[in-house]
Amino acid sequence: MLRNILIRLLQAVLVLLGAALLVFIMLRIIPGNPAAVLMGEHADTAVIEKMTKELGLDQPVHVQLIHYLAGALRGDFGTSYSLGKPVSQLMASAFSNTLILALMASAFAWLVGIISGIIAAVKKNSILDHLFMGVSLLGVSMPVFMAAMVLQFFFSYKLKIFPIAGTQSFAGFILPAVALGWNSAGSVARLVRSTLLEILEEDYIDTARAKGRRQMGVLILHAMRNAMLPVITMMAIQLSGMLSGAVLTETIFSINGIGRLAVQAITGRDIPLLQGTVLFSAALVILGNFLADSLYHVLDPRIRKEA
Amino acid sequence: MLRSERAGGKTLEIRHLNTSFFTMKGEARVVNDVSLDVYPGRITGIVGESGCGKSMTARSVMGLVKYPGKVVGGEILLGGVDMAALSEKERCALRGSEISMIFQEPMTSLNPLMKVGRQVEETIRIHEKVTRAEARERTEAMFTQVGISDAGQRMECYPHQLSGGLRQRVMIAMAMILKPKLLIADEPTTALDVTVEAQILRLMRSLCDSGTSILLISHNLGVIAQVCDYVYVMYAGRVVEQADTFTLFDHPVHPYTKGLLKAASSIRSDAARLDTIPGVVPDLLHLPPGCSFSPRCEQCMEQCVKEVPDMTFAGAQDGPAGLSAHLVRCFLAGVPPKGDGI
Repeated sequence: MLRNILIRLLQAVLVLLGAALLVFIMLRIIPGNPAAVLMGEHADTAVIEKMTKELGLDQPVHVQLIHYLAGALRGDFGTSYSLGKPVSQLMASAFSNTLILALMASAFAWLVGIISGIIAAVKKNSILDHLFMGVSLLGVSMPVFMAAMVLQFFFSYKLKIFPIAGTQSFAGFILPAVALGWNSAGSVARLVRSTLLEILEEDYIDTARAKGRRQMGVLILHAMRNAMLPVITMMAIQLSGMLSGAVLTETIFSINGIGRLAVQAITGRDIPLLQGTVLFSAALVILGNFLADSLYHVLDPRIRKEA
Repeated sequence: MLRSERAGGKTLEIRHLNTSFFTMKGEARVVNDVSLDVYPGRITGIVGESGCGKSMTARSVMGLVKYPGKVVGGEILLGGVDMAALSEKERCALRGSEISMIFQEPMTSLNPLMKVGRQVEETIRIHEKVTRAEARERTEAMFTQVGISDAGQRMECYPHQLSGGLRQRVMIAMAMILKPKLLIADEPTTALDVTVEAQILRLMRSLCDSGTSILLISHNLGVIAQVCDYVYVMYAGRVVEQADTFTLFDHPVHPYTKGLLKAASSIRSDAARLDTIPGVVPDLLHLPPGCSFSPRCEQCMEQCVKEVPDMTFAGAQDGPAGLSAHLVRCFLAGVPPKGDGI
């Protein structure tokens, strides 16, 4: 067990290093000089050169790489070109917003997804089943930005229940969370339904019923427990995806989160900021996968290796 | 074999049970007017080929028929109570405590995420208000009783850590933990190898001797001959012949039973080809109007094609030792064999 975790941790570190390298290389391949972008269209060549030197972009690539990796190890991603503040500080303040948004969106997605998935499976081929699956199909296929704008139109513009943008109050997080969670809710509901339908046909469900368990008990204690295995993997990956910044949602609702920071970094050719946000996202996705894997180990005795 | 005779009524009486599957193509009558009895302290067998309705009869008794199947008529009397007329809630109270069932596949019949001990304890705790410690203690004793060594240690195992034979023993422990009146065993040894099969059958015999009546379902005549006291032969949803085991194997009357016995016994002879019953089982959606076996029967008469024969006495009107008589659903019954007949 411990050895397994150690091996996977080591793998995670290697993947992270790979991601860091990839980000670094990609940013160097893109044509154009960040210093020139920073100084504006009509800047003097001398000014641009001076800026290039200041940013360390005149140094050989391998020196830049070592500098970047050594910094990243210490949690120092340099100073943002466009915002003039340390990247780590910017990310720390943005992350709290992203965290709230992601947790709320996930809570919404899981609650709605799991419950409607269960109902759809138990009442297979009923009106409720068709309704939930129809709505979830809409959820899966509707892009986040569209869901966001539809929600804004109805709940903020027409009904004026929620603020249209910004996070001054907690209510400001509700619409973005729904918009962001909508999509996940749809896929969770569909996965719960199909897994549960499969599991309800298993022999051990008959065994549980033959013991005298009522329908609810069979469903929760035997069927759901088994059905959650693939669902949990999906949820962990979704959560880590949301935590690493919901680019569209954060932009549309003007939430200062990691996703919006990344967008600013791209438009401003802000190499340190972009490196920081991308690496942070990669780390979260790796962490999410690692947690899902470990959780799987806890939940499913079959994949626990004998010591 | 000395089996003490037990007085008293029947553990289970099934009267005119009908179970159908309602499919897109129409109604498939999987259990067709089945009546059978299970006597206390006896092992009653149902034998027949795949799809003859033997498992569906068992599932109907348990109330475990899956959609689109449905029990459409008849009575299932367990100690005088009609199971078919009970609400699901009332049935749940009986399942596991008064009547329990074990299934064919011990590999997939246990919840893979729960320790086997927990799964047996669960049965106790559904029906009785006991502490965990007490449930544990009783489970451990039951494990030992069904022949699981190191019971305490095995209880902590997950199903995948046990062999097929052990898992089936766990299933039996689970089914027997509350000392039900009736245990239904649906092909309990089919997935096991022959040595384990023999052990499990011996175990079932001893459980039966300690007071639980058993309804054993099998397609294996060897298993039936080995442990059953009384046997029902099913074909295409109907009981076609019923007799105590000795009579059935010595003097079968129905051409189908004869065919089955011939096909089985020829394995032990050195004939070059195995005996088979020609033809295939009729489609349950389109049963022949007469006897279901008539299309395959070598002795088929004009009458057989037109009407379904009733169950008639094949010999004496009393069965041995308090069991039912020998009955058969065939127009040939009672008719003396002609010419060079059997």
